[in-house]
Amino acid sequence: MMKRLCLSLFVIVAVSAAAARGPLRPALLFAQQPQQQDEFIPIDQLPPQDQLPAAPLLVTAYSFVVLALFAYLISVARRLGVVQRELDRLQSDARRGRT
Amino acid sequence: MFARVVWLVLRKDLTVEVRSLEIAYTTLFFAVSCVLVFAFALVREGRAPEDGAAGILWISIAFAGTLALGRAFERERQSETLRALLLAPAARPAIYVGKLLGIVALLAACEIVLVPLVALLFQAPLLAQPLWLAIVLLAGTIGFAAVGTLFAAMLVRARTRDVLLPVLLYPITVPVIIAGVRATATLLQPELDMDSVRFWLALLGCFDVVFVTLALWTFEPLMTD
Amino acid sequence: MPKWFLPLAIVCGLMFAVAPILIANAPYESTMGLVQKIFYVHLPSALIFLLAAVVCGVASVRYLFGGNPRHDRIAWAAAELVVLFGIITLVTGPLWARKAWGVWWQWDVRLTASLMGWMVAVAYLLLRKYGGPGSDKLAAGLALFGMANVPFIYISVNYWRTIHPTTNVLPTLPVSMGFPVWFTFATFFLLFILLLRMRVRLEEQRAQLDALYLSVDA
Repeated sequence: MMKRLCLSLFVIVAVSAAAARGPLRPALLFAQQPQQQDEFIPIDQLPPQDQLPAAPLLVTAYSFVVLALFAYLISVARRLGVVQRELDRLQSDARRGRT
Repeated sequence: MFARVVWLVLRKDLTVEVRSLEIAYTTLFFAVSCVLVFAFALVREGRAPEDGAAGILWISIAFAGTLALGRAFERERQSETLRALLLAPAARPAIYVGKLLGIVALLAACEIVLVPLVALLFQAPLLAQPLWLAIVLLAGTIGFAAVGTLFAAMLVRARTRDVLLPVLLYPITVPVIIAGVRATATLLQPELDMDSVRFWLALLGCFDVVFVTLALWTFEPLMTD
Repeated sequence: MPKWFLPLAIVCGLMFAVAPILIANAPYESTMGLVQKIFYVHLPSALIFLLAAVVCGVASVRYLFGGNPRHDRIAWAAAELVVLFGIITLVTGPLWARKAWGVWWQWDVRLTASLMGWMVAVAYLLLRKYGGPGSDKLAAGLALFGMANVPFIYISVNYWRTIHPTTNVLPTLPVSMGFPVWFTFATFFLLFILLLRMRVRLEEQRAQLDALYLSVDA
């Protein structure tokens, strides 16, 4: 009974999502349009002194990617090391018969 | 059978609440303080920002709702009635729906006070379209409470439940809040754009259906600890 | 570690070495110039961010309804990778946007939904760390809601008019740009598999440690 209820609810979701898509997009486009034109100016229409150099942004982006991946790798490796050392200590204690 | 369990749980919650009105009064006062803090913080030269009403209303509802959820389940935990509820031969989803309706009723009572207050403090024509506003508030409250009831019930036995409830709740319910604020803001415009309101309401309805379905599906395994 | 781990790690390392060469040799995009090269890491990391969220959600569902702790470990590992690849996407995106759109951030649908999805993953990790006993099942429930967000993030840009490019961009890329981006995606995907396996191993070791403590005490 629960499964039927869930199935019917999902059908309702799918139908309403499909229905909401079509006729209401124009309304939403109108609602969003003024905001877009205020903020977005194509970059080549800006005067030269407003244009940003791309290289620092590019270098920052790629360095961040490398640093983030390395930081995570080191974090996992460190945590693995801690647990491994603890495991080894416990196993050697157990072998020696100590509780 | 399902409806009967829902009604029994709802009646129990409402009876307990009406007897002491503890959660109702404290939640209401907190929501009013929230609105006042926003009013004082955002007022410039004695006038409040014009477009702030919708956002502030929904933020106050979200904060007050989190408080009410925490308190409601804390009461269950303290009197150990949660275990009794789970031991009862009732379908878990029915218990969830009963609790959900109780929270929605509590939040609706708060909103009845909050809406005129926000309309007054921010000079917003919130009462211009009362029926549509009521529908928007109901849809948004159900969406927020659906996720909130599930998480609050889940967290009732966790250690750091007080701080974890907002941490878990807000990222998930942000779409509901956004849709609610946009729908309310659209209702406040002088020229009413009914297409836009209907769109945001349809979106709110979708979120409600998805959240309630997911909550019904997961309530059983999550509460069998 | 399983047998496939080391060879795959070597392949992944080599691919990481080759990828910058491919990216540097890709043609410039006409309106955005040099800064568009951020696309070659932004898109793959965004796709892996979504993939990791789906993996976390599916593993959480299997753990909730099946109870196998292995699925719980995969879910936790995938959640950490959601945070990792999410933060890469959410940093490289604004760095690109600053020059391409003129603003660091816009509250449009895709960016808002992605940020919220990332925060759900952070909330998952906080819950696992500070939630106490029983937080594994609770976090699984949270991950399920987070996974429901993923298709919304992906298709939202096609139904709302936003400043972010739509998904039509991908199939219509010329081969000279398409090859580097899919190569980088394959590299990130391999890295995702490797990191997932490493992180799951950490949880396996922790479980072994707990079991050993319990057996020693008994």
